[in-house]
Amino acid sequence: MHRRHERDGVLSVLADRTTRVVLVAGGALSAGLLLVLGVLLGLHWGPARDVPAAGSVDAGFALDMQAHHRQAVEMSSLVLDRTDDEAVRTLARDIQLTQQQQAGQMYGWLEQWGLGQGRTEPVMGWMVGADVAGGVAGHHTAEVPADGLGSVAAMPGMASDAQMAALAAADGEGAERLYLQLMATHHVAGVEMAQVAAAEASDPQVRHLAGAMARGQRSELTVLRDLLAERGGPVEGV
Amino acid sequence: MAQQPSPRRERAARAAELREQQQRRDRRQRRLVVGVTAGVVVALAVAVTVVITLTRDDRAAEQAALAAPVDGVRTFEDLARDHVAGEVDYAQTPPVGGEHDAVWQDCGVYDRPLVDEHAVHALEHGAVWITYDPSLPAEQVDELVAAAEPYDYTLVSPYEGLPSPVVLSAWGVQLAVDDAADERVAPFLSQYVQGEQTPEPGAPCTGGTSATAS
Repeated sequence: MHRRHERDGVLSVLADRTTRVVLVAGGALSAGLLLVLGVLLGLHWGPARDVPAAGSVDAGFALDMQAHHRQAVEMSSLVLDRTDDEAVRTLARDIQLTQQQQAGQMYGWLEQWGLGQGRTEPVMGWMVGADVAGGVAGHHTAEVPADGLGSVAAMPGMASDAQMAALAAADGEGAERLYLQLMATHHVAGVEMAQVAAAEASDPQVRHLAGAMARGQRSELTVLRDLLAERGGPVEGV
Repeated sequence: MAQQPSPRRERAARAAELREQQQRRDRRQRRLVVGVTAGVVVALAVAVTVVITLTRDDRAAEQAALAAPVDGVRTFEDLARDHVAGEVDYAQTPPVGGEHDAVWQDCGVYDRPLVDEHAVHALEHGAVWITYDPSLPAEQVDELVAAAEPYDYTLVSPYEGLPSPVVLSAWGVQLAVDDAADERVAPFLSQYVQGEQTPEPGAPCTGGTSATAS
């Protein structure tokens, strides 16, 4: 009985003009707001929005590892012109072609993400605070300048200008030993960078390729060190 | 003396009371309807605001900043890309494109002038060439080198006869500034190092020549 009265009450207020206007306007406004809410959430969580931003691990890795790879390609190109040793030439060709292709993938990601190859974040900034304890011997910490965007040449594992010049000036076994020792240092840092990206990147493609790089370079490290030992070890003073 | 209420008056009073009850109920219901409607609208408005705040697209702003045109950049169209031997007469100083040597300049920092024909080939591969007047103070040269260091697709070199103390060039684009500290230097690099203007994306900036002009 009481409930019927209440319903009658609601029905009776619907007869009231002001209430009807309030209800219709409120309903329309709510529908509009719901639509906006849906669109916003769709844009945010929908597949199209889901690309890494500048400053992400993905973007930092794609920029820095690309430059890191380019130096490995350059070192490999240099040694290929400076020795006839088949074991070293095969390894150098492997590294050269693999890393050139991987650098191209990273370049392509950045273009697809709409970021291009420009920098807004410091070199190696994405590695700061990363746990690289699982890396191979020769632990590096990312160092990022207090101001400015840093230096590609100062990334861990990078050969210095003087080391590159020494490699360019060497030939035969001298060039082989220099190449092997510089590339071993290069790979140690490369493995650490790749491990961090494999663990912390958001894009599954990035994590996948980074994981493959870490495994590939780690096993190449063994070959590099073996070939170097067979040739008398590192060249002193370089 | 208490008056005995007549049945008629009693009915009238009862009717008035019912009407009043009805009106009170109507008022209550109306307040309820208006209140609930307003509540729903306010709640949705708050939700929209919260979502906008939480998901505000900082990336879009970053990208806009990266892609925003750099003030004062001049562009040049229809540049030849053929390989030629020997000297080329370039229309711009320093050149921003055109015919060039088969061998590209290796990216890096040089303290001597470069051969235009090699440098132009590096621009074709996506390099930005930072040139400065030989009289530029050393600390400004250091600033230019620091601006170039986050990249491995940059050339830095002195250049005789520049139209301004510092000129930044990429393929088909150029920016002249008076000072190395000009705030457009970093955005120019960010936008044009291996930027969209690059005729041969992916081409190297090593393995060419590191020779300077004699």
